[in-house]
Amino acid sequence: MKKQLKKAAALLLAAAMITGAAAGCSTAGQASSSGGTDAASAGDAASGETGAVDTSEKVELKMYLIGDRTPDFDEVYAEINKILEEEINATVSVDFLSWGEHETKYSLLFSGQEDFDLIFTASSWCHYEQTVALGGFEPLSEEFIQTYAPDIWEVVPEMAWEQAKINGTIYMVPNYANEFGQDVMAVRGDLMEQYGVEQITSWDEMKEFAMAAAADGMYTFQYGPWYQYFQTEGLSTLGGAPKSGELVLYNAQDPEDLDLYYILDWDGFADYCKQAKEMADAGCWSPDALNSTDERQTGLLTGRTAAMVWNLGSCLTYGRQANSENPDWNVTLCDPVAALPKKVNSYINNGVAININSQHKERAMMALNEFYTNPDVYDLAMLGIEGKHWEAVGDDQYRVLDESNYGVSNNCNWGWNNMTIQRTEYIEDRTALDDAYDAMMEEWNANVKGDHIYDGFNFDNTNVATQVAAVEANIDTYYNPLVNGLVEDVDATIEQFRQALEAAGIRDVLAEMERQASEYAASKQAA
Amino acid sequence: MRGKGVKSFFKKVYLYRAFLVMLLPAVAYTLIFSYYPMTGIVLAFKKYNYAGGIWGSPWNGLENFQFFFTSGQAGLVTKNTVLYNVVFIVLNAVVQIAVAVLLTELTSKAYRKITQSLMFLPYFISWVIVGIMAFNIFSSDYGFMNNIIQALGGEKILFYTTPQVWPFIIVFFNLWKNIGYGSVMYLAAIMGIDTSVYEAATIDGANVFQRIFRVTIPMIMPTTIILLLLSVGGIFKGNFDLFYNLVGTNGLLYNYTDVIDTLTFRALISSNNFGMASAIGLYQSVLCFVTVVVVNKLVSLYDKDYALF
Repeated sequence: MKKQLKKAAALLLAAAMITGAAAGCSTAGQASSSGGTDAASAGDAASGETGAVDTSEKVELKMYLIGDRTPDFDEVYAEINKILEEEINATVSVDFLSWGEHETKYSLLFSGQEDFDLIFTASSWCHYEQTVALGGFEPLSEEFIQTYAPDIWEVVPEMAWEQAKINGTIYMVPNYANEFGQDVMAVRGDLMEQYGVEQITSWDEMKEFAMAAAADGMYTFQYGPWYQYFQTEGLSTLGGAPKSGELVLYNAQDPEDLDLYYILDWDGFADYCKQAKEMADAGCWSPDALNSTDERQTGLLTGRTAAMVWNLGSCLTYGRQANSENPDWNVTLCDPVAALPKKVNSYINNGVAININSQHKERAMMALNEFYTNPDVYDLAMLGIEGKHWEAVGDDQYRVLDESNYGVSNNCNWGWNNMTIQRTEYIEDRTALDDAYDAMMEEWNANVKGDHIYDGFNFDNTNVATQVAAVEANIDTYYNPLVNGLVEDVDATIEQFRQALEAAGIRDVLAEMERQASEYAASKQAA
Repeated sequence: MRGKGVKSFFKKVYLYRAFLVMLLPAVAYTLIFSYYPMTGIVLAFKKYNYAGGIWGSPWNGLENFQFFFTSGQAGLVTKNTVLYNVVFIVLNAVVQIAVAVLLTELTSKAYRKITQSLMFLPYFISWVIVGIMAFNIFSSDYGFMNNIIQALGGEKILFYTTPQVWPFIIVFFNLWKNIGYGSVMYLAAIMGIDTSVYEAATIDGANVFQRIFRVTIPMIMPTTIILLLLSVGGIFKGNFDLFYNLVGTNGLLYNYTDVIDTLTFRALISSNNFGMASAIGLYQSVLCFVTVVVVNKLVSLYDKDYALF
């Protein structure tokens, strides 16, 4: 009996010691990593003095990307590492933050002092402004970029760097690709014919089609078409404003117009909400829209909705899929805002930043230079291994061989998108849909809208964080039902919405926004 | 005198060394996972940034608490949180005790085991799945309920635009999910009752109902009260998983379903403000603490033996 007790005690003691050791480990790890940063910054200063790029020591860099690891990912990156080792004596190991977890884990990487060098980032949808506000990214001086990434400096246009600046400092290397931000519609051609709608090029035609579809018992949209409405009016979301920029708009089509359109002070919002209610009541989208967890393409592919609203590329992809599964559907592309010049997405919609705690900032920048501008590395990251995943057609096109285990532009290579060396797809059996896509693409590229000062503006809410949080707490209650036409009384709900936001301090937020916007505009106009 | 006290203390330590070693893991666990993280409370009073971390960031006074009260929703969500929790606590206790009693009264052992397992099963289903199940039951287009209602010739009910029904749906799912797990506690308490008490009751001519209400229920009262006191400790904390997965971003339902945790989530998800999030956590914890102390005091006034401390 006594012996058994002793044994048990020994076991428990061992368990306790392991726990203690584990706790000890974590503090020790932290201490050493902060020590490492000191050493790195000391090295920084030294290399700055000599001005030479020293790559004699082999370095293993760590990079975080968004998404999931594809089956062939490691094989492809082993090839990339061969090139990187040759060029800059470094290798890259990649960790992924999945789509589901990046919202919560991204900030933990920084607050937990995780040791890594490069990370994917993007304005608004991937934590750029928040992380900069909390001091997570290394500021990138022009000299630093020119020294360690001269080819990137050569390629990336000045506009892109301007957009990446927050309070005058660059914190990310923006991607360089003309990505059009405006969504289009993939619409069932057979239904357009049936309802006698020849084309959808404006808000009215779109509404006419949706109402005809509703009368036929078909939904057209997944959510209320609020974006299509304000885009028709020439407006666009303002970077950094509450509700992902939707609460305050600006006139992107008119560079002279420097007003900020707070939606509750703009008559268009009430007009839209009334039309939305009319459409929702008619059955243009599901009354459960707010709770649906369907993916965007589900409605179109399953035949529950007559159209899908998404960006051009996705509309083409799923339009093709729908047509191949249901040849009689004849899905085609329509632009409900056809009359207006197109806004190119801000270049900071994708990008890469360097961790402020990285111990190899210079080498990280050099590695990024390779990803961005070395065609071999670029093709590998975007398309996979030549001969296995794809084959070259001429110098600037590719044909897919096997998309299943790597995919095209599917591995978070968007941070270093570079349209000057990016291959385009070679298509063999062209369909009407492909022609519609090419025609639209050509039309858009020929009709890019002029720059507006606010295109690159990003509201920094640190001075009014309290008011912004209070405003955000109130938005969904009124805004989501209004935009989806699900309220009983539009005017009354708008009035409640207005009062709730006034009480929460929206005027302070707007005043601060006006101040920053006019300062920003003044600094741009002076330059 | 003092020297002797110290000596006898060490003597006792030596004497009970085996027990103390056995206590060690629990103490270490509590220190590491309960007391050490409590120092993070300072975050509630700081303007957090990554460079400064928890300790180096500048102080911020009470500013982190401000947004919650200026949002105009503080009263509503606090009320909702407390009311939901009161209903959860009371209803869960009543139903779980009833189930535990019924299970012990079942004579067929196989039937009892199967019933118990089936009731336990929902406990292991994640709230995300429950949310999807709820959508498939209540959605207006393809929902199970509306299909039945329409098949019977009725008019569709748009559950997702009718806030009044949601308190019932939420309470139902919470009950359904916790019934098996909770009843196990009471079942254990019932099993601990001395069988001779039942024998004596039977000899005195007690029928089934008298046995339940005069013996079983009074005998498990101490367990019941301890479990109640423990759950009162979380009365200001909304179950985020439950509310977020069932309601999501549907603002139409918020008047009836918004709790402190979902409001805080919406307010701060786009800004990642750790300080404000901690402030709300502290607000909830302080209110919970006060409630527990008060309720415990009331219980001890009623009967000292039932109180936690």
